[in-house]
Amino acid sequence: MSFLSIDHFSDYKVHGAQRPDFSPYESNGGSIVAIAGDDFAVIAADTRLSSGYSIHSRTQTKLFQLSPLTVLGSTGCWCDTLSLTSLMRVRMQMYEHTHLRTMTTDAVAQMLSITMYNRRFFPYYVSNILAGIDKNGKGVVFSYDPIGHCENAKCRAGGTAGPLLQPVLDNQIQLKNMNLDEKDKPILTKERAVSVASDTFISAAERDIYTGDFVEIKIITKDGIESMTINLRKD
Amino acid sequence: MFLTRSEYDRGVNTFSPEGRLFQVEYAIEAIKLGSTAIGICTTEGVVLAVEKRITSPLMVSSTVEKIVEVDKHIGCATSGLMADARTLIERARVECQNHWFVYNERMSIESCAQAVSTLAIQFGDSGDGDGGSAMSRPFGVAILFAGIEDGVPQLWHMDPSGTYIQYEAKAIGSGSEGAQQNLKDNYTKEMTLEDAIKLSLNTLKQVMEEKLSSTNVEVMTMTPEKQFYMFGKDEVEKQITELA
Repeated sequence: MSFLSIDHFSDYKVHGAQRPDFSPYESNGGSIVAIAGDDFAVIAADTRLSSGYSIHSRTQTKLFQLSPLTVLGSTGCWCDTLSLTSLMRVRMQMYEHTHLRTMTTDAVAQMLSITMYNRRFFPYYVSNILAGIDKNGKGVVFSYDPIGHCENAKCRAGGTAGPLLQPVLDNQIQLKNMNLDEKDKPILTKERAVSVASDTFISAAERDIYTGDFVEIKIITKDGIESMTINLRKD
Repeated sequence: MFLTRSEYDRGVNTFSPEGRLFQVEYAIEAIKLGSTAIGICTTEGVVLAVEKRITSPLMVSSTVEKIVEVDKHIGCATSGLMADARTLIERARVECQNHWFVYNERMSIESCAQAVSTLAIQFGDSGDGDGGSAMSRPFGVAILFAGIEDGVPQLWHMDPSGTYIQYEAKAIGSGSEGAQQNLKDNYTKEMTLEDAIKLSLNTLKQVMEEKLSSTNVEVMTMTPEKQFYMFGKDEVEKQITELA
């Protein structure tokens, strides 16, 4: 069929318009939500791994426990996620050996930022959200852009359904545009954070084809990490 | 072929038959020619006090710098070859800043001492270290690290062999033997920072040939509140008059 290639129809040639034949990135979908409370942090991610209209896996966790007090949620290009998280694990192990202590969540947050910025001109195509307990025992959430800008937030949604979930969190967690009296404001308990997180995922699974199957929720406290899984739409 | 002992002190990385590295041991001896430096760690903070040898009245004494700031939370007193000390201090500063940059937290005192000790043992003639050309000899410097870690004061000592150990009170330099004995006799875990300043100056007074004055003594405190704090001339003067 090579005689039908565009080279044989010189009239149709367009100067300057060329298709790149190397595309190193792939979007494998998935969403993450993280909420920071006073003495806890909740981080949730769905377990679907897809590529276009195909589903690679329905049970792939996107939450990586880096230390007893720190969990990283990572979606985007799955191979970049794997590469980045293993590099983080290696660096945290090296820190533990040289400095004889486990990295705090704040230290992990800064190192993740620098690790990603090191690839400024060939970035990891990932949407990262880090959740954990900081050195004062408070819950913290850090969100990142793909080249490593780090921001401390109270609640954050990322991944393919990120833009869908964030306004819900702003409204339900930060109580934006609610016009409530101080006494009517709901207290952010672990239970409320978990139910808001799971509700946002149930809603996202209705509209985003890259989010579904199950949502895995991790509740981080100073005493340890509790895990749970909730069913989502599987179509 | 029989080699006499003296031939083993030529190569810096050749062990003698008894298993000793003479150049390193000589470097440790070189410290004993340096001026005396004393560090005392209390629950309130660490004090560093050093003797400055002002060999001529024409010398500008303030330019002899024996106590330096490495980071806000780490200060160092050095004894031995001052030029060598500069190189080690430079490394300590770089490591502290790098740690802060990568981890957004202050470096621990032990890690700082460890980083400096890595440089201190990079002597030899192989030159495969990452510092470019090889260093031909060990550093002739001993360092006292005074720092605050998680609000708790710490004192560390490192010698030319790269060994670093935490101390409650330590003296280095020419008067170190007498000074260390004096510290051993008078140090208590419960002593206040003020007591420690007095003890350090008293100890210096005993081992120094010159009379104690604000020109030939440097004093620094490291406390959780003020962190690195260098005493001014008037403050040193005040402490000395209170001694007598």
